[in-house]
Amino acid sequence: MTHAMDRRRLMTGTAAVLGLGWLSLPALAQEKRLRMFWWGSKERADRTFKGNKLYSAKNPGVKIDGETIGWSDYWPRMATQAAGRNLADVIQMDYRYIFEYARRGALLDLNPYVGKALDLSGFDKNSIDCGKVDGKLYGINLGNNSTAMLANISAFEGAGLKVPTGDLTWDEYGKLCAELTKAAKKDGFYGSMDSGGLEPSFEVFVRQRGKNLYSEDGKAGFSAEDASDWFAYWDGLRQSKACVPADVQALDKQNIETNPLTLGKAAVAFAHSNQLVGYQAVNPNKLSIGMYPSGGAGAKPGQYLKPSMFFSVAGTSKNPEDAVKVINFVINDPEGVKAYGVERGVPPSSKSRDLIAADLDALGKAQVDYIASVTSKVGPLPPPPPKGAGEIAFLLRRTNEEVGFGRIKPAEAGKKFLTEASSILSRG
Amino acid sequence: MASIAQPSSGLGQTVRKSLPAYGFLSPWLIGLFCLTAGPVLASLYLSFTNFDLIQTPRWVGTANYERIFTNDPKFIAAMKVTFTYVLLSVPFKLAFALMLAMALNRGIQGLSIYRAIFYLPSLLGASVAIAVLWRQVFAGDGLLNAVLKWAFGYQGPSWISNPDYALYTLVSLSIWQFGSPMIIFLAGLRQIPQDMYEAASLDGAGPMRQMFKITLPLLTPVIFFNGVIQTIEAFKAFTPAFIVSEGTGGPVDSTMFYTLYLYLEGFAYLRMGYASALAWVLVVIIAFFTAFSFLSAKYWVHYDD
Repeated sequence: MTHAMDRRRLMTGTAAVLGLGWLSLPALAQEKRLRMFWWGSKERADRTFKGNKLYSAKNPGVKIDGETIGWSDYWPRMATQAAGRNLADVIQMDYRYIFEYARRGALLDLNPYVGKALDLSGFDKNSIDCGKVDGKLYGINLGNNSTAMLANISAFEGAGLKVPTGDLTWDEYGKLCAELTKAAKKDGFYGSMDSGGLEPSFEVFVRQRGKNLYSEDGKAGFSAEDASDWFAYWDGLRQSKACVPADVQALDKQNIETNPLTLGKAAVAFAHSNQLVGYQAVNPNKLSIGMYPSGGAGAKPGQYLKPSMFFSVAGTSKNPEDAVKVINFVINDPEGVKAYGVERGVPPSSKSRDLIAADLDALGKAQVDYIASVTSKVGPLPPPPPKGAGEIAFLLRRTNEEVGFGRIKPAEAGKKFLTEASSILSRG
Repeated sequence: MASIAQPSSGLGQTVRKSLPAYGFLSPWLIGLFCLTAGPVLASLYLSFTNFDLIQTPRWVGTANYERIFTNDPKFIAAMKVTFTYVLLSVPFKLAFALMLAMALNRGIQGLSIYRAIFYLPSLLGASVAIAVLWRQVFAGDGLLNAVLKWAFGYQGPSWISNPDYALYTLVSLSIWQFGSPMIIFLAGLRQIPQDMYEAASLDGAGPMRQMFKITLPLLTPVIFFNGVIQTIEAFKAFTPAFIVSEGTGGPVDSTMFYTLYLYLEGFAYLRMGYASALAWVLVVIIAFFTAFSFLSAKYWVHYDD
């Protein structure tokens, strides 16, 4: 008897639970959830979350879950998600990786959406084409940027020195920074960060010599001598105390928060122009933005304008149409465009540039002016980096550290770097 | 009506008797077979492929293993770093744990409180937070240098960002986590019959002699156990190197542990096939060391029977 009662009670209970489940299902089904994944600083996170919120307000029933992480942890995480077929719907993509991911079939071709959910009418041809791989559109350019030198204005002016700009040659820049270190007389404060291990800096240096970091067919485009000269240059700066010593630079995780400029150990950071916003957000002193030192008379332009980053859609996305609409929102809708501002670079769409021009703060204006002013002084976009370029960026950092800690002479370091880089490239 | 006193006869009874044991083990067993065993076997297969995490893996035979043993200077470098770490951290950690266990075994008041305090670092040890703390303590303008300057007027280097010292700060972090071997040593010390010491002191044996003739020999099974466990743990160390070097193994690869190298190959350079092969080489190395310990045990470990 009691047995039967128990069973009946159990069944009613189960039925009740199931019934409740059914009731709540329609409510769930109405809400679409998209995932968005990006790298970057806190400033970028704030702006991106704001953009997502504005999108949801305009598109009820669509919720965007944002995930963000620093640059160096971003790619391992992305690779893991790609392996697990678990990529976010909207993915922030970099010029370095778009070829690898697109050719491996991880991204969605956005061509079919152009002119429908995706409006690229404000984009010039170059700004669209940089997101194409083998004729298909895999990335939407979120902003143009270029490499840039950010300097602590008061540190230079306080010492009676001129704030460094692209008018200086590399040697003049080294001398200026050595003078600043001497004049500042602050323990552990130096003129410049040590940029010898930063791939974008080395690339500018190589291009000023009329070469590319990587050739069209994916080989090393620089010579051992180029690399040796580069390591020797920074070794000279370390010795004249123009830049931070090796054990200070070793703490730089190659992000805004741990850069020697942000940590108050150096007056200059080598960065990208869109990062002015992120750097200024965590630096109490006003920063100037200028071009890298030049290669001197007869040198070629080292810098180039590039897409600072893309938004791509995962090939595995279950809601590709909505993911495309989110991208369209941040490149065209006034609310989305304003939320992002110029933190990801200067918008490639002329309409969007006009949209934000009116209420651009001084910082945003400095960046837009910078991009406008360098446009006439830059070279063409280099060929996309080959497979293995990511590892070579690590290698450059390690080799510069080896020189910095006196393990190897610059001349030798250049040869070793080229040999190891070529071996990585041939392995792919 | 089977009673416990009845001698077990036949396989059926043995199985029936051990069923409850398996029942209690089941959460772990299910985890082992469903979550661990599958990926482990998959990685063995992947180690013979060129898997890049995104595309379908392609069989490459023993190419990955050949490369590891004939053409990979980074493998050799990572082995050097890892062996230095194991050979330094394990003996020091065990010695430290044993010393403290002996001190605590003297019947002092509030033993459980001291035990808890000394165990605390081990609880926190493997966590990211402690590795971050370690970064702060051993940085150029960190706590350690502040103390050195205040006490001795000595301006120390940046311990974690100098390739000459970085590895040793990780060794010290490991030694600091002496808690779990200490607890096991303490339990071992308690097992030693008190009358042995009484008899020895009646025969005129001093404290040193008692330690070398009674305590250490009777403790060898525990020393052996701790040694094996700690060696395996040390080979597997990953978190401290990953956090302290910010995932680069730097400066100048001085903290490029084997596991960190494996991780970078797999997840940063997208060579998961190669990383899987590296992982299996590590399995063989650990198995070799464990087997060596067990074989050597009969020459120095004294069991009580």
